[in-house]
Amino acid sequence: MAGSHDEAAIKKSYMKVFYLLMGFTALTILASQIDTFFATMFGHTGGTYVNMTVGLIIATIKVVLVMYIFMHLKFDNKYLRAFVYVPIFLFIVMVFALNVLETFNHP
Amino acid sequence: MSLALDLRHEPVSGIPHGKMVMWAFLASEIMFFSGFFGAFTVLRNANIDIFMEGTTHLNVAMATINTVFLITSSLTMALSILNLEKKNTKMFQVFMGITILCAFGFLVVKYFEYSAKFEHHLLPSKSIFFAFYFMMTGFHAAHVIGGIIPMVWMFLRSFTKKGYTNHVRVEILGLYWHFVDLVWIFLFPALYLLFPGAHHGGH
Repeated sequence: MAGSHDEAAIKKSYMKVFYLLMGFTALTILASQIDTFFATMFGHTGGTYVNMTVGLIIATIKVVLVMYIFMHLKFDNKYLRAFVYVPIFLFIVMVFALNVLETFNHP
Repeated sequence: MSLALDLRHEPVSGIPHGKMVMWAFLASEIMFFSGFFGAFTVLRNANIDIFMEGTTHLNVAMATINTVFLITSSLTMALSILNLEKKNTKMFQVFMGITILCAFGFLVVKYFEYSAKFEHHLLPSKSIFFAFYFMMTGFHAAHVIGGIIPMVWMFLRSFTKKGYTNHVRVEILGLYWHFVDLVWIFLFPALYLLFPGAHHGGH
């Protein structure tokens, strides 16, 4: 990662991730209104649990972006990547599994 | 013959020791917060009405401002590492300074948020939702404070005659700081936003 060209490329990728994170934050806030949108459009809140699922998917995309670019996992050793993926994978599966369960209990 | 152990092993993995240790620490941190998220979801499932009522008291605007603070500080932290690596001390100081300001900004907003809750007698004892709210955001805020201390130290050291040149250490601190951002990425929707039929007003 030497040379000014690489530096410019890295800076560019950082900025891209920054804009994406900001955009996804706005999307998360919009996602929290999906049920309200359904209620006004169709008269019933068909999309109540959709909020949560969409929000979690967006959060997962944000986490992957931060880890890959800001935390340099993209450039890191594959052993380190494997070591990090396990707890992250378990965490995301757990959060999703529990929320899916809840969705069935409180539709 | 010396009995002392020589523990200065070469990193076989090709990863600096400090970085490996920080990742191991962060892996354990993920598990620490997993406990909270797991308990949060299970108990929310059992007390859905209390949790939904609780969310209506939270201030989404303040939490959004804090999200912006953390994302911005993540970017400036990454840029400060890049600049120190290129031996550009001036820009390192600028970006590290912005990172510290954002971190303090986060805490100031959190202070106002907490004091509004206290004013309305919304304490951890009020309901299980508020117990979770204060535990999760409290531990997260403690992590922010934990990040500020070494950041300020490195920032101040860079102004001394000797300067600060250890970019690997800043990178390791950066890993921690990005992790603090990651936790918030999940906390923000889980606590403030994603509740079926939540009304966004809050204090």
